[in-house]
Amino acid sequence: MSRERTQVADVDRSLYDFTKSEEGYERYEDGLTPDIVRAISAKKDEPAWMLEMRLRALDLYHDRDMSTNWGPSIAGLDLDHITTYVSPKTKQAKDWNDVPKDIKDTFERLGIPEAERESLAGVGAQYDSEIVYHNMREEVAKQGVVYTTIEDALHDPRWEPVVHAYFGTLIPPTDHKFAALHYAVWSGGSFVYVPEGVTLDYPLQSYFRLNAQGAGQFEHTLIIVEPGANLHFIEGCSAPKYYEANLHAGAVELFVKDGARLRYSTIENWSKNMYNLNTKRATVGTDSEMEWVSGSFGSHVSYLYPTTILAGDRSSCEFTGITFAGATQDLDTGCKVILNGADTTASVNTKSISKDGGVNTFRSSVVVGRHADRARCTVSCQSLMLDDISRSDTIPAMDVRNATAQVGHEATIGRISDDTVLYLMSRGCSEAEARTLVVNGFANPVSKELPMEYAVEMNNLIKLEMEGAIG
Amino acid sequence: MSDQLLNVSGIIAGTEDTSILHGVNLTVGAGETHVLMGPNGAGKSTLGHVIMGDPTYKVTAGTITFDGQDITALSADKRSLAGIFLSYQAPVEVPGVPLYSFLRTVSQMRPELKTTARKFRQRVGEIADQLDLDQSFLTRELNVGFSGGEKKKIEMLQLLLLRPKLAILDETDSGLDVDALTVVSKGIEAYRTSCGGALLMITHNTRILERLSVDRTHVMVRGRMVAEGPAALIDDIDRNGFERFEGDAE
Amino acid sequence: MPSENTQAPEAPSITLHRVNRPPAQTWNRLHANDITLTVPKISRKGDVYFALPQLFSGIETGMGDKVTEWVTSQAADARYVEVPARAVREEPIVISIDADKGEVSDAGVMVREGARATIVVSVTGTGEKATTSASLLRVIAEAGSRVSIVEVIGATDAQQHLESVGIRADDDARIDVRQYALGGGTVAMGLTADLTGRHARIDLTTRYFANGNEVLDINHVVRQRGRDTRAQVLESGVLDGAARKSLRATIDLVHGGRGSKGSETESVLVIGDDVVNKTMPVILCDEDDVAGNHGATIGSVSPEQIAYLEDRGLSRREAEQLFVRALFEDALIHAPEQSSHEATVRRAEVVLGTDVAHDFDEGFSPAADEEV
Repeated sequence: MSRERTQVADVDRSLYDFTKSEEGYERYEDGLTPDIVRAISAKKDEPAWMLEMRLRALDLYHDRDMSTNWGPSIAGLDLDHITTYVSPKTKQAKDWNDVPKDIKDTFERLGIPEAERESLAGVGAQYDSEIVYHNMREEVAKQGVVYTTIEDALHDPRWEPVVHAYFGTLIPPTDHKFAALHYAVWSGGSFVYVPEGVTLDYPLQSYFRLNAQGAGQFEHTLIIVEPGANLHFIEGCSAPKYYEANLHAGAVELFVKDGARLRYSTIENWSKNMYNLNTKRATVGTDSEMEWVSGSFGSHVSYLYPTTILAGDRSSCEFTGITFAGATQDLDTGCKVILNGADTTASVNTKSISKDGGVNTFRSSVVVGRHADRARCTVSCQSLMLDDISRSDTIPAMDVRNATAQVGHEATIGRISDDTVLYLMSRGCSEAEARTLVVNGFANPVSKELPMEYAVEMNNLIKLEMEGAIG
Repeated sequence: MSDQLLNVSGIIAGTEDTSILHGVNLTVGAGETHVLMGPNGAGKSTLGHVIMGDPTYKVTAGTITFDGQDITALSADKRSLAGIFLSYQAPVEVPGVPLYSFLRTVSQMRPELKTTARKFRQRVGEIADQLDLDQSFLTRELNVGFSGGEKKKIEMLQLLLLRPKLAILDETDSGLDVDALTVVSKGIEAYRTSCGGALLMITHNTRILERLSVDRTHVMVRGRMVAEGPAALIDDIDRNGFERFEGDAE
Repeated sequence: MPSENTQAPEAPSITLHRVNRPPAQTWNRLHANDITLTVPKISRKGDVYFALPQLFSGIETGMGDKVTEWVTSQAADARYVEVPARAVREEPIVISIDADKGEVSDAGVMVREGARATIVVSVTGTGEKATTSASLLRVIAEAGSRVSIVEVIGATDAQQHLESVGIRADDDARIDVRQYALGGGTVAMGLTADLTGRHARIDLTTRYFANGNEVLDINHVVRQRGRDTRAQVLESGVLDGAARKSLRATIDLVHGGRGSKGSETESVLVIGDDVVNKTMPVILCDEDDVAGNHGATIGSVSPEQIAYLEDRGLSRREAEQLFVRALFEDALIHAPEQSSHEATVRRAEVVLGTDVAHDFDEGFSPAADEEV
């Protein structure tokens, strides 16, 4: 489906331009009213069922509280004026001059081409990422793979019913408060459909689609991999994503059917003012495999727990992740696995690094259902403390209800040993170089799972973080 | 041959993927010493495990009778209680269970061995001395952290304690290990003098047989019994190897 | 002296909401963060209560303040024992609780500098009436002291027991704790050890067995505040039937506790088809010059082990019972005196049968020969 996108400067920012509603709904004191939601839906020309879902979610959002006994504080979010996140018309950086200096510096240090910088900073769209995006889509279409936006899919009579059948079924709006918010105001995001038996030789990347539609803060990604098919999808990039309206409440729903395989790789580097409340979930069928590779850098506060439901017998999942928390950051990340099928296996390997007062919390949950005969799951978490002003907490939970399952967990916390640093220095490294080497080595299990250019970017990112160059 | 202790007749057995025994016959009389030899992959260890009732192997034809009872369909624990003992090549570790506790439990299950705890401790101590095993091993977890030689001693300890009617010793790995050789020889001697039980020694190396007085020798090649004879057969194999039997395995 | 608290038909009761909580929690929907208990509440208005010295009120206890408040309101008196400086107290300090009578005990033990003492808490129950018993034990271990604590809980499935322990360890103090949770309809155990002093150390070993419909809720917290402290926590248990167990173990490496090392390991053997096992091993770390690690293994007897044991005459069930037996034998080995020994044997009689329950003693005690 082609789109007249030659004037890329016409990025539709007006999507969220609404004046505050005058209707006196006390319930909607925070400004997020049904009218706003209706207007969003109308602008997108959505089917009626989608509008209904948005409205129901809006109600859920207002009825729901967030738990207070665990997790980083989100007091910095102005929930009383939630519309400012949804309709940031007055606060959106319109000009390159308004973009914070440290963001610009990071682009420089990471070697991001001039042409891309403004686009990434959300201030303009002279970057012709759209063209690259189009080419990619045409390539994969030859194999019957659909790669488009959810909005476009909803306008296509072949795909609208498919979206309807899957959208919001894996992550229900009732899941938590910000899932509800997401479903009320979602916009943008990928729809990927891989037909039966199809294998793509190279990964599909969402990077090029960054500013194709609206603000990327409430993106919804929906991926369906049909039986016997194979897909590697990469989202994000190491360049920081900057938004003045600093809430990201996205959702990713992944459906891996019988005998299929999906690898979902992410490097997230939200700018350090962001609240990243992201929900990612995959459901896996019989004899299928799900792999997550995740590098979390940036954001002020993160809540991120990719979840895998091993529904089918002999299904498996592997999670490899790294989280780097520096100054002013409080990152609560981890992984959840639910083993329901027989002979299912799961392996979780995470690393975390805390520095300059950063707070890192690894939070996991492994639930083995009654019927998960012979299920096997191992979780391994290693945390590195780079100084004595940072924090690293490990809070895993296991709930096992099958007598033949085997579940193992191990975690270690420590620091770079003086011996190691000394050894490297005796081979000519400065102390800083030695530490960076060790940390990169520590991150190696994650970087080696990524395609080369992402791995290099990740290493650069780590280097910058170690230097404290990123504000 | 109903007066034979063990009668293996026409056994065809294998795993789900592979067929290993192609119609094997073997008889052992009470109190006799038999040797089962053959090249690698002959199926000797498999036969030992099949006699013990290892569920890894499916028997699709043939029968096994032991002490007048048809045990072909009997589970391994019942065969153990009936008087068959199989020593393990690599004894399995069982963390969380001290050796004493284990020995006491399996002894008490056998009416002919049931005794007071005090007498039991004495008996275990005596056997330990015979095998040159330190008493401290009693509190250690079963097979955990034991050296290879110690694990062998524990197997011999169990043999002497449980007094089976038939001991199947699978020593295919031990043939070249001097320590293991000594331990096993000592164990067998003690077993023969104190229990008078039958012994089926499985090996492909003749060294372990040097001090043994053998009643009958059996040779297996590629899942078939290809030869049977008196003790002299061992010398023959010593000099000529198994080659001349290979043809008979087709 | 422990007081009685049997449940009369209309006995007043209160609910202790969400007790036995760890410092850091997980998602609420896992229902693994705490336990809510209904306990009897008799009025002690007008009773004269001999309370513990003020020092003890600052001690953080495993089950939390709500339980402390409740126990101090129900116990007839607080029992205070002081072991003088450098004294070696041979005879254990025994807190013996009769679960049949629903006894509640509040005890504080002060072990002065360089002293050594052993504290035993034993809970024995044989009855079928629903009762609630409890033990609150607070210990201050001053510099260089050595304290051994053994807890044995052997209640019946009609009974409920709360066991809360709070320990403060000063410089060079060494604490050795062995807990045996062998039975009880609902057993909630909490232990918090505050290693405030330099080189303070705790070795905590907890072994548990639960079957039937028993509920076992355990909370361990070790705060490593002092420099060069050491914590070694081992929990291992066997779960059968439809037992429901929840274990939370927290190692807290507090800022300032440089050079400290904390490790925690749990291993769970599941031999019942309807067991629900929840485990939450947590490390909190605020300091870089430390080492923390934890591990958990949850599983069943492996097929190789079953096969080996089967070849020695044990059916699957009998093989699994070997582990239960080993657990009880371990409790017997470590019972330092009469009441803890009693509690173990009584419970072993119910779980393993009388023959086996008495067999171990006969094998190892210098008693005269007995014919079987």
